[in-house]
Amino acid sequence: MTAPSRAARPAVGAGCGPAAPAGRTWAGPVPSAAEAAGPLSLDGPEAFGAVFDACFAEIHRYVAQRIGTDHAEDVVSETFLTAFRKRDAYDPSRASVRAWLYGIATNLVGRHRRQEVRTLRALGRHGPDADAPGHDERVAVRVSAQSLRPDLAAAVAKLDRRDRDVLLLVALAGLSHEEVATALGIPYGTVGSRLSRARRKLRAALGGGDPMLDPEEAGRG
Amino acid sequence: MDELETLRELYGEPQADPFLGARVRGRVEAGVRERLETGARRRAGAPGRRPRRPRLPWALAVAGVAAAVTAVAVAVPQATAGAPGAPSRAAAVSGRSVLLAAATTAAAEPAATGAYWRVRKLHRRPHPEPLGRGGNRYRVAESRITELWVARDGRVWSGSRELGAHPAGKADEDAWRRDGSPAEWSSRGYVLSTAPEQGRLRAATGRVPFSMAGRAMTFEEIQALPVGAAALKDWVSRAVREELAAAAGDGGGAGTESGAGTESGAGGPLDGVVADALSGLLWSKPSPPAVRAAAYRALAEMPNVRYLGEAADERGRRGAAFSFTLRTSPEPVRRTLIIDPGDSQVLSSTVTGPPGSGGDQVELVLEAGWTDDEPSAPGLP
Repeated sequence: MTAPSRAARPAVGAGCGPAAPAGRTWAGPVPSAAEAAGPLSLDGPEAFGAVFDACFAEIHRYVAQRIGTDHAEDVVSETFLTAFRKRDAYDPSRASVRAWLYGIATNLVGRHRRQEVRTLRALGRHGPDADAPGHDERVAVRVSAQSLRPDLAAAVAKLDRRDRDVLLLVALAGLSHEEVATALGIPYGTVGSRLSRARRKLRAALGGGDPMLDPEEAGRG
Repeated sequence: MDELETLRELYGEPQADPFLGARVRGRVEAGVRERLETGARRRAGAPGRRPRRPRLPWALAVAGVAAAVTAVAVAVPQATAGAPGAPSRAAAVSGRSVLLAAATTAAAEPAATGAYWRVRKLHRRPHPEPLGRGGNRYRVAESRITELWVARDGRVWSGSRELGAHPAGKADEDAWRRDGSPAEWSSRGYVLSTAPEQGRLRAATGRVPFSMAGRAMTFEEIQALPVGAAALKDWVSRAVREELAAAAGDGGGAGTESGAGTESGAGGPLDGVVADALSGLLWSKPSPPAVRAAAYRALAEMPNVRYLGEAADERGRRGAAFSFTLRTSPEPVRRTLIIDPGDSQVLSSTVTGPPGSGGDQVELVLEAGWTDDEPSAPGLP
């Protein structure tokens, strides 16, 4: 048994939709989901401004993870402009604004494939922004030696683009199968098959069983 | 850690330039304005005349959103910290006698009757988000088995086996079938599967295998705990205060002074943590019989440990239910233990989570005590 857990990963995107991946632990109560500020709509510039403010940080995080911060600014701007341009095509009954924005961002990231591969190579060799100022805590939390995974980065780079899109929308954006399907405009069942294929390849790259798996808390009381 | 978590670790958190949001907002705003102007010009059909700038009251809209968010945060209903209904004096008396009876049973147990002390638990935890498609939503719960093996010389092994995620109740199961009985879901960056995984067993080398209220403890330290109820409670209270002070010191925060007063009969703010640490000695650690008995006696004297009467756990095993509040803020979290006074074993623990946790977290003790079996990876239940 443990004292109530204090640590939780910073919630991302509160107000835009469900929080992006939160730390998952068997110890202590699960942190509650960030409540959405209500349904977002794209009707009118005011509403669009609200969508921008609610979703910018989350979309930027995702794009910057995939193609690096230098290129993310342009792509994120383009994502919101595209969303505004195509706002008449948005159907709130089919997708959340959040999933729709992720879909647009993913399509735009797809035009920067070489940049994505370069970003992955850098992540595998040097880790994510390890020398960025203000990141001491996060860097300290990670076991930095473990996060250097050239093998894993190479495996992600080698994935079919469509498989990679599904994988990263699940792993980085925290979307559900349904949201991925609407974001990318693909059938629900296709999400599962692409995800399985991508995960299989990652597992192979990581070399089967993960010795780091921690059967935590069995005896930690 | 699964491959998706490893992947997130690889990607890390990108750095965020503090002015980036405003900068991109400016760009998007300009782009939107340009687009609206182009549209207006096209409609006006008069290229020579400068169209009126469309009004973009974003600042206002933003203020409105911020206010709405604040309102939502404030509007979260404040649940009361206390449990419903104060216990009657009679219930308090009988609860105390149940715990004292369990203490007597615990004290009478032989110290070690096998090569290993072993506890095997079934854990069930609701997934915090509903799954499914469209209007057809349902909840699933994830289960796993954990085992802890402790040799008489203090060596420790821990085992675990994920049992997969399954619909939480009957209505959830029906909704799951309507969803096409999927065997996998993605949610919050994780993939949940109905399939059980392989069991794993790991020797706890290179780390202190036990902890109490955040304090790392060795097998020897557990064997050396005080065997008097008051002395044990004092020891635990002190450990709780020191761990909290250390944690606050790490974070540079203050406010640990309020932790004083756990020895007082009135009950201090840390009583929940103290009760939790004491109860951990009953069912999650290889405590010697005299220490278990002392823990039962100490719990019997704690005013925040409430007797709920007879109850059955999810396997239908009957016992006496006790509960205490683990924390009161932001939302109250309670632990309810069902114990069997006949053999002093804890049968189950239920943590009633805060809103948003998706439901109760249940642990069922499947086996506890001494055995001559050799440590091995956990089998299916």
